[in-house]
Amino acid sequence: MRWTIKEKELMYPGHVACPGCGGALAMRLALKALGEKTIVVLPACCWTIIDGPFPMHSLHVPVLHTAFETAAIAATGVKAGLDVRGKKDITVMAWAGDGGTLDIGIQALSGAAERNDDIIYTCYDNEAYMNTGIQRSSATPKGAWTTTTPQQTPKLEPKKNITEIMIAHRIPYVATATLAYPEDLINKYKKAQSIKGTKFLHVYAPCPTGWKMAPDLMIKICRLAVESNIFPIYECENGINYTVNIQPQKKLPVFEYLKLQGRFSHLTQKDIDEIQKSVDFERQLLLKRAAKS
Amino acid sequence: MKWLDKYKVIHPKLEKETDYPHWAISLTSTLLNRTGTWRIFRPLYQDQIPPCNNECPTNEKIQGYCDLVKQAKFAEAYKLILEDNPFPAITGRVCYHPCENSCNRKDYDDAIAIHCVERFIGDWGLKNVALAKPKVKNKKTVAIVGSGPAGMAAAYYLGLEGYQVTIFEKQTKLGGMLRYGIPAYRLPKAVLDTELKKLIKLGMKSKTKCAVGKDITIDYLRKNYDYVIICHGAHKNRPLGVPNDKAKGVISGLEFLSQINSGKKPKIGKKVAVIGGGNTAIDAARSCLRLGLKPMILYRRTRLEMPAVPDEVDACEAEGIRIEFLVAPVKVLATKKGKVTGIELMRMKLGKPDASGRRRPVPVARSNFKIKLNAIITAIGEQVDLSILTPDIQKTEWGVKVDRLGKTNITNVYAIGDCVTGPKTVVEALGAGKRTAFQIIGATEKIISKTDKPVKFTDLNLDYFEHQDKTKIPEISVAARKKNFKEVHTGYNKEMVLKESERCFSCGVCNKCDNCFVLCPDLSVIKDNGEYEFDYDYCKGCGVCAHECPRNAITMIEESKVEEQ
Repeated sequence: MRWTIKEKELMYPGHVACPGCGGALAMRLALKALGEKTIVVLPACCWTIIDGPFPMHSLHVPVLHTAFETAAIAATGVKAGLDVRGKKDITVMAWAGDGGTLDIGIQALSGAAERNDDIIYTCYDNEAYMNTGIQRSSATPKGAWTTTTPQQTPKLEPKKNITEIMIAHRIPYVATATLAYPEDLINKYKKAQSIKGTKFLHVYAPCPTGWKMAPDLMIKICRLAVESNIFPIYECENGINYTVNIQPQKKLPVFEYLKLQGRFSHLTQKDIDEIQKSVDFERQLLLKRAAKS
Repeated sequence: MKWLDKYKVIHPKLEKETDYPHWAISLTSTLLNRTGTWRIFRPLYQDQIPPCNNECPTNEKIQGYCDLVKQAKFAEAYKLILEDNPFPAITGRVCYHPCENSCNRKDYDDAIAIHCVERFIGDWGLKNVALAKPKVKNKKTVAIVGSGPAGMAAAYYLGLEGYQVTIFEKQTKLGGMLRYGIPAYRLPKAVLDTELKKLIKLGMKSKTKCAVGKDITIDYLRKNYDYVIICHGAHKNRPLGVPNDKAKGVISGLEFLSQINSGKKPKIGKKVAVIGGGNTAIDAARSCLRLGLKPMILYRRTRLEMPAVPDEVDACEAEGIRIEFLVAPVKVLATKKGKVTGIELMRMKLGKPDASGRRRPVPVARSNFKIKLNAIITAIGEQVDLSILTPDIQKTEWGVKVDRLGKTNITNVYAIGDCVTGPKTVVEALGAGKRTAFQIIGATEKIISKTDKPVKFTDLNLDYFEHQDKTKIPEISVAARKKNFKEVHTGYNKEMVLKESERCFSCGVCNKCDNCFVLCPDLSVIKDNGEYEFDYDYCKGCGVCAHECPRNAITMIEESKVEEQ
């Protein structure tokens, strides 16, 4: 198997992501797909740090650093400004973490989606507030350890399903992607770029530091998340037409995914069975939706 | 680092207050930030030895040519094989392929049919690639005693370097065991003849019908040639060692095969028993079938202990030849005039393992029985005829005494092949021939020894491979094999060979799959003219590249141990 991925880089090395950062690779691949004529809007998130401290900057494209809750609206503003100046061929991408999307940024995002502003919104999801010290977010899965949900009382609430929330906005394009399938990820960005309106991409980007796992397993964990149906890879057009893009070859038990991460090391067999049950349920739900559309 | 040169790193001078911009805007890139200093482990591109290459007695670069075949570069693949094995059309047919037994893919679904790929390339090369000529001229002379695979390989590699090679052969035609031992349904004579043309093109002279030891002596050769290579093989038949074993109708397996392979039809009775469990026994029995006889095989141990290649035993049974296990001959039954009428046998059972590691057969008391027969073919092993050697050459129990590279105790006299090891395989003889030739040429750096650390199955990242079954090896039907010596296996066609080579894992050797390049979060894998390079200025040593390399061609080593490497 050989990849058909462009060699041209729109990112510099020397960025300050941790070794094995999923978010860094996600940005690298996304920019390969979108090309030079892109403006990135970053709210407070890991990428604010990764991009580098003053006077440095790690992307070949312009970046606007903005406040935590304003990723979507700032992107809308940039797009509007470009429109006024007649620059129609520039893609504006808001690039926020799971905290900036699922928690604090959701009202701005929902507003942009409601107005169907012409932006790509990426949520790179590492399932907690990582750069501030691994605090829980509403994307943290049930049962996971974070510094604010210690092992004695791990997170009790399930992960908020942001993909379905965005699908419910009936925006033109919503998709999930992850790094173990780079061609799929790149194709989705290209597709999003070709569509007018709000596009939402949910990119699953592991954080070896916060998940307490070896950094070299970063890609493997992405693959296991897909194969165990923890993170299904699918897309939905106009809020109606579902397509499951990657069908797991083997039905992997969630344990295979959980066991590699220190943040799940305290789980008992009962907890794991419960997770398996809910994953199976979600899987069936998704397949039903995909079959109906 | 080439693409980095395009971006000049500018360090902004921020000494005075006025150097600072009025709003927070970047002035330079993160190239200033050498994140390589964070690294504890360092990735290295280090090709490992694939198990197939490691197991091959000629050290053929199997992974290498499979990779070329994937890209349909047949000419390059052919040339790569010839570096280690001059006759792929022969080994592709007759080799017992230890490479396939060690193939890592066998633990995944099915080993690659390497011999079929080799055979296709061998046949393709014979048709499409011009024969090699000597690279240089050389006045040194070499006498090779015996024209079997060992002698042929030595002659080829010496011939390439321009050595004046003369082969002495007892029989009327060249090829030794390849011609007189292996039946045409496994190796058609036309293929052998075409392969031999390579040696003629290299200027090799041959003296057939010249038995060294009888017509000419080793001493004479030593005086008249700069180098002498003894490779007369192991042809001496071992007698059965039971009463009446010289009766009329008892024939040695090699003699029987030799007669058939010289175009004669041996005159033996219809009901034949072949005694033995090696490849000669199988070849003899399957040849009997093709002559219209009714053969059966008698072997004193079980199938597990049979020295014959399992595929051949399977084919033998598929053709309907009965193999009777755990029986040993007690006596050959014969008429008063000494003509075979049958054999008396005894049942055996397996005892403790012997020196060869196989379980020793032990007779079962009062289990004798008789069967009626017209002929008996003995194939219980061959011995080396040591009588042709001069007394000053050191010998071992079974052959000539040599070092690892075939040197005897006498300078410039070498011995290789079956005459050293006792009866072994074609590929081992070819490998020995090649190594001795390299030794004479002085190209000792080309002599590779086996490593104990080939790539293991567990070293691979199997997520990048899909299951696919072995491409079925085409063969003619059992019915079509009767009464003729048509080749049984018909070989892969182009489509099949492309499909089969695509299954190769390419263990331990980078085949430019781009995984490390695509999946590096730190942009520290740089592609330069198709080659990869790590940018240690920025690599943080996360190890994603090494883990995601499907073939274990990247190793992570501790930074503190880098100097030692």
